[in-house]
Amino acid sequence: MAAIQLQGVEKVYRGKVHALRRVSIDVMDGEIFGLLGPNGAGKSTLVKIIMTVIHASNVSGTLLGKPIGDRKTLESIGYLPEHHRFPYYLTGKQVLDHYGALCKVGRKDRITRASSLLSRLGLSGWENKKVGTYSKGMLQRLGIAQALMNDPKLLILDEPTDGVDPVGRREIRDLLAELREEGRAVFLNSHLLSELEMVCDRVAIMVKGKVTMQGTIDSLTVDSRRYEITTLGSIPEWAIELADDVSENSFTLLGDDPSKIQPILDRLRSENIIIVSVQPVRENLEDLFMRAVDNTDAPGAIR
Amino acid sequence: MMQFKALLIDAYRQLSAAKLFWVTVGISALVVVAFGSIGFNSEGISIGFGAYQIESEQLNAGSPWARGLYIGIFSNFLVKIWLAWIATVLALISTCSIFPEFVHSGSIELTISKPIGRFKLFISKYIVSLLFVVLQVAIFCFGIFLCVGLRIGEWNPLIFSAIPIVATFFSYLFAVCVLVGILTRSGITALLITGIFWMLLWSVQTSEVVLNRFVTRFNVDIERFDEGIITTTEELTTIRAKSETDFRIPKLEKRIETYKEDSTEAQESLAKLAPWHMPVELVLAALPKNAQTIGLLNRWLSDPDGFDIGAIMNGDMRAFEGEDVKEFDPTTRGARDREANRRIQEDYESRSLWYVLGTSLLFEGFVLGLASMYFSRKDF
Repeated sequence: MAAIQLQGVEKVYRGKVHALRRVSIDVMDGEIFGLLGPNGAGKSTLVKIIMTVIHASNVSGTLLGKPIGDRKTLESIGYLPEHHRFPYYLTGKQVLDHYGALCKVGRKDRITRASSLLSRLGLSGWENKKVGTYSKGMLQRLGIAQALMNDPKLLILDEPTDGVDPVGRREIRDLLAELREEGRAVFLNSHLLSELEMVCDRVAIMVKGKVTMQGTIDSLTVDSRRYEITTLGSIPEWAIELADDVSENSFTLLGDDPSKIQPILDRLRSENIIIVSVQPVRENLEDLFMRAVDNTDAPGAIR
Repeated sequence: MMQFKALLIDAYRQLSAAKLFWVTVGISALVVVAFGSIGFNSEGISIGFGAYQIESEQLNAGSPWARGLYIGIFSNFLVKIWLAWIATVLALISTCSIFPEFVHSGSIELTISKPIGRFKLFISKYIVSLLFVVLQVAIFCFGIFLCVGLRIGEWNPLIFSAIPIVATFFSYLFAVCVLVGILTRSGITALLITGIFWMLLWSVQTSEVVLNRFVTRFNVDIERFDEGIITTTEELTTIRAKSETDFRIPKLEKRIETYKEDSTEAQESLAKLAPWHMPVELVLAALPKNAQTIGLLNRWLSDPDGFDIGAIMNGDMRAFEGEDVKEFDPTTRGARDREANRRIQEDYESRSLWYVLGTSLLFEGFVLGLASMYFSRKDF
């Protein structure tokens, strides 16, 4: 079942600024979905529309099977906004209790969950300290704990690892993987491509308010898969003619079928050319991202 | 309900984290202690727990006016000066940033993404934000209640009526503060605009009071002079019936002439003021009537023995005597002043709760309606 199913989302601000142009996205239960794009691409706008923080100019679709904008559905969604600010006068425990109560979580559950989440996110010992004394990374962890207070079926995190140290990032990745194992859907909005690549099952790349690519990383990079063959010494003429790309002492053959390169390797060996390495190569998320951005010029919304 | 309770607890935590809240509580406590230091003994009034003694035959432990004085100090001075001015200013300073902080980027997303409608969230937040004033006034009234009970033996629950009255008075201003606060997201701007609005209200109310005073006074003058013409004419007729050469006749004729001139003058002045009075009254009818709202407390706590410290402070010592006195000559300046004051007081006291509270709350509702509409439609 689709946790998020959006069709033709549009947002036009006053002054005819098109922040989103017919965006369609599907996020399935039990998957981690990453939304990436340059600054000003409209990622946060899309997240805010899902969370009813911003009103869309046009939207159709569902959230956990209910129409977008249904308040009751929000009881089952956890949300961490970008650059969130907790009231400085509250302690970590009070923050969780407050936002838990706003999500209609019962008092007993709030107490149990707050204690368990603080421990799970490495904030034990800080629960009774004012959030004004927390570091950025700690506030980010607390934000994630806040988003999990209502035991959500869908978790929407906007830059969750912003300001978190490498150890913390790894812990958050592990946590997200655990949530996926539990069957929850996670929607991640992040600039950190390597982070997304490590945890996301599927991604969408948004540029200038449009989703330009969407799918699994494997499916998006299928056209870029190739074998890079490096030899000792010069590459024979016949290999250069077959190659899709050639450098000083290596050449590339597009495709992901290993049986297709065997005759080439056999011929190289028969000609006593020493093969240093045969490496399957594919684009990483960063390459994919850069390709998507380069194809659409500069980032930002369109007037 | 759970969400409202969460917002209420949050409001309390926000208040208790604010130093100004505790400063105001501290000053309130000092005011209550000062009030409690006033007592009555057989010789008169003691101040400062007996440090000073004012001897009085009228105001002492056995006097029926002791109650009027004690309650009068509360409703005329402590409520009107401390609660309605100083504590309100402190409350506005303390609460002006509640809504700008609430709608601050990074903070508002956390709240409006929760399963609570925006209108409900806005109204709930508004109501819990009045907690500052409600708590302050409740603590203050409880202290006053104890003082009055212990000092004069009257355990008067009407003292607690100051809580809704002052909270309502404050809410007229706070509604404007909230509207400006969410439009500009600046606590300082909200405070400044609210201050200006308060001054505007004060100006309109003062204009209405002054115009009303003059209009009432001229009406009394016309009435009294016309009555004077009738009674003097009757007197003149009686005298003339006895003797056409009575020495009092020229004097009475002169008096009638003077009455006529004064009546004409008063009618001309009234005609000049009347066109201003009605528009100012209409403007005031549409605006919150904060002075009259606070004045409700005086009505409810008025002394059954007729002791009115407010009137005494205005120089009307007859209020001290507590009974109607037959005027020797109703056309004298003093008699006309007293009658005008009596009518003005009667006029304000006869204004219905609908007029005082209803129209003020309508204005507040309109301002809050604008604010909530903006809040509900805004893309944060």
